[in-house]
Amino acid sequence: MAGGPKCREALSLLQDYLKQEITPELATKITDHLEKCRPCFEHLQFEKQFLEMLQHKAKGQCCPDRLRARILAELRSELDSTADN
Amino acid sequence: MTDPVPGREAFEAEVIPQLDSLYRLALRLTTDPSRAEDLVQDTVLKAFRSWQRFQPGTNIRSWLFTILRNTFINDYRRRQREPIPMDLETAEPHASFRAVDDEDPEGTFFSRIVDAKVIEAIDRLPEEFREVLVLSDIENLPYAEIADVLGIPVGTVKSRLFRARRQLQEVLYDHAVEMGYIRPRDRAPIKQ
Repeated sequence: MAGGPKCREALSLLQDYLKQEITPELATKITDHLEKCRPCFEHLQFEKQFLEMLQHKAKGQCCPDRLRARILAELRSELDSTADN
Repeated sequence: MTDPVPGREAFEAEVIPQLDSLYRLALRLTTDPSRAEDLVQDTVLKAFRSWQRFQPGTNIRSWLFTILRNTFINDYRRRQREPIPMDLETAEPHASFRAVDDEDPEGTFFSRIVDAKVIEAIDRLPEEFREVLVLSDIENLPYAEIADVLGIPVGTVKSRLFRARRQLQEVLYDHAVEMGYIRPRDRAPIKQ
């Protein structure tokens, strides 16, 4: 199991690393560590898999066509009333 | 022919492609498809009426999410399903990874969980964690924009996101064990 100070640093920044919300210098440092440390690398894969699963499963839900049509119709009638005034 | 409302074509061109994202956020906030539809419609009409106030060049998604969330808070919020009780302050970091480290370190069990179960688990997160998770991990908004939409500091966005993910992973892990996708850690060997 990961345990050294470098592991702790990498794991504490894993979320920001995956979101690409850290400085390039820190990102390089973490990448270097992940390449050398198998437990931390596995942890990264675990978090990645989790995020991919979330994206995949939750993005399957789309705006229903009837709602899309309803909104477009509302917008048009809003425009008509604006144009009348 | 002159355009009766300046920028109306731009409005449709900018906003209509965001309907899927708006609907997903509305669904997660209301946890009810019919209320989600009404919320999206109200949001788009409000956005249209204040379209003149939108600053071109800023993020249309953040602007729309902000309107949707404010509309939800003002007009739609009601008692939701009971969130999963959990002491989030003491939630152990990386606990779910540790639980599967030996058997499934890459977390492949996640992909075996059915979509509806994942959605249900998200919907049972406390609202303040759910909204951060949706904006970040599903809609890919950067921290700074999530902070703007929710009116909280970036540090709070990060800590809520961390806890939301941990809680969701814990729930999905328990579900995976229950379904037999993975074996629980430290389980006593079954005697034949």
